Amino acid sequence: MTSYVEGSPVKALIVEDSAVETMILSAMLRKFHCEITKAKNGKEAVQMFLEGKKFDIIFCDKEMPVMSGPEAIEKIRALGEIHVKIVGVSVGDNAEEEFMRVGADEFLPKPMELDVVGAIIQEIIKKKKNNDTV
Amino acid sequence: MAATMKLSTLGYAASMLSTGLLDEQFQKLLLLQNKSDPNFVAETITLFCEDGEHTIGELTKRLDKQCVNFDEVAAFVHKLEGGSASVGAKRVKNTCIQFLEFCKEKSRDGCLKTLDTLRVVFYEVSGKFKDMLQLEQQQAEATK
Repeated sequence: MTSYVEGSPVKALIVEDSAVETMILSAMLRKFHCEITKAKNGKEAVQMFLEGKKFDIIFCDKEMPVMSGPEAIEKIRALGEIHVKIVGVSVGDNAEEEFMRVGADEFLPKPMELDVVGAIIQEIIKKKKNNDTV
Repeated sequence: MAATMKLSTLGYAASMLSTGLLDEQFQKLLLLQNKSDPNFVAETITLFCEDGEHTIGELTKRLDKQCVNFDEVAAFVHKLEGGSASVGAKRVKNTCIQFLEFCKEKSRDGCLKTLDTLRVVFYEVSGKFKDMLQLEQQQAEATK
């Protein structure tokens, strides 16, 4: 997780191959002033972590070309990234179990709800504030 | 409701909702538009229409083969399912769900029949989206 600086944005990574869904989730996250980075598949997401990039939260789709969401999550956790909150998202059935098995913290069915996304972001802001006051 | 969209455009969207072409997810999409993101709805539904057309083209190509790769077909359908669910294109989403069942059964005939249905429902909603955006643009021009 990144350090908290008063007023600093939550760093969000969207891992999604659908441009439409990326656009919609980005619009939601902008409402909460998040700093948004995008990856088109799991491999691009893993590469970002290999390059040393840090995020507070990842929204990760399940079915993607090149590398799926669950495979990417497994690799990201294996890199030691245990603090970043990972939210698996999918429109299909049986996705939740697969995401949780590989280390996701939460699962959201698509289409995502703005207030649910907002609550997750607020939770991260609160956690960052608490981590820095400890 | 999106203050930046004209009342007549919202009325057009309301008729698409009442006929079941769209569901309440489209109304939620409208709420994401604001002064700092004034073209969000237009850009999103334009992208949906472009992506959907491309997907239907790819599905047609892949199902034209005698030996169909159903995993590839399912991947395209799944992507369209997600996009249609996110913009509220209810009939497209439901058709994609049926399509995925035929992919699981590896039924080329079933997939072909559902592709025909998908074409109809997709072009119905994308046509109406384009009309809606054109109306919005005409009204914007008229008030300049």
